[in-house]
Amino acid sequence: MKDISIRIVIADDNSLLLEGLVAMIEKLDEFTVVGTAPNGDGALELIQSLRPDVALIDIGMPDKDGLEVTQILHQDMPEVKVIILGLIDLTDEIMACIAAGATGYVLKESSFDHLIETIKAVYRNETFCSPRVAASLFSRIAELTIEVNEQIPINSVKLSPRELEVINLIAEGMPNKEIGLRLFIETQTVKNHIHNILDKLQLHNRFEAVQYARERNLLSKK
Amino acid sequence: MQTINVMFSSRPKLLSEVFHNLIERQPDMRVVGEVVDPIELIFALRKTPTDVIIITPMKANGVPRVCSQLLKEHPRLKILTLTLEGEAVYIYQSGLKRSCIQKPTEQMLLDVIRKGVQ
Repeated sequence: MKDISIRIVIADDNSLLLEGLVAMIEKLDEFTVVGTAPNGDGALELIQSLRPDVALIDIGMPDKDGLEVTQILHQDMPEVKVIILGLIDLTDEIMACIAAGATGYVLKESSFDHLIETIKAVYRNETFCSPRVAASLFSRIAELTIEVNEQIPINSVKLSPRELEVINLIAEGMPNKEIGLRLFIETQTVKNHIHNILDKLQLHNRFEAVQYARERNLLSKK
Repeated sequence: MQTINVMFSSRPKLLSEVFHNLIERQPDMRVVGEVVDPIELIFALRKTPTDVIIITPMKANGVPRVCSQLLKEHPRLKILTLTLEGEAVYIYQSGLKRSCIQKPTEQMLLDVIRKGVQ
């Protein structure tokens, strides 16, 4: 009789792998396999009735695949920790599993010991992943960071009201001296504003600044 | 009781460990070797007497040819190849037509390994 054990449900359509995992996990004191299912629908039914601590779900199953099962579980039973068993380290697939609510992703190319460490980690509300999965995730995060940074000038750079006035007057074709006279500021101050605008928007000249403002409807309508 | 010598070339690693564990739990079987690439079986079998081989190829390319080569060199050998998702096991034996078992369980696999060997 096991004192305190992590209750696990395993779902995989590969009977040999399923039976083998049950046999190996059951030998360990800290775990009890409370149920197994050969498909997605069966897994959901079982997990809903047994409420295990951890669900090991194969990514590719008949009926509902691992991703669909994870989404449903995350919505209906967020307390159940889901670990996806994946065949290959497709970064997009791993990201999709995380977005669906999976707390772990173990490649079938990983060792049994690694699987066990992952189960223990997710049970403790931690994350444990293989260097291969970590590499895929870091690579994807780097790509996303670059994408976000590229969007910053478009979405989040804010021009001050004075800078917007300057850019509008540039768009009207005024030289710096005339802009200064219109706004009651020194020509040098106008130059400073233009310098700041170009710096903020990472542009090279006043014509690019006008084009930028026009594309984003920042110019006053006359 | 005769001990059945089993060799593996199975991937992915988790499945390989599961097979290893399954064979080691049987009193009449033992694991005599394991290789990553099925091609390596040709050289491994020249050194190690083996009754049964279990192959789970990541890609099926070339595996049937390896089986022919192995059976030519070791006519008493039995080769089981499993599809990656475990939906079927194919059995190759010298002089016999390839047979197939759908949705194999542990017991079915063990029965196939034992049949005709002991």
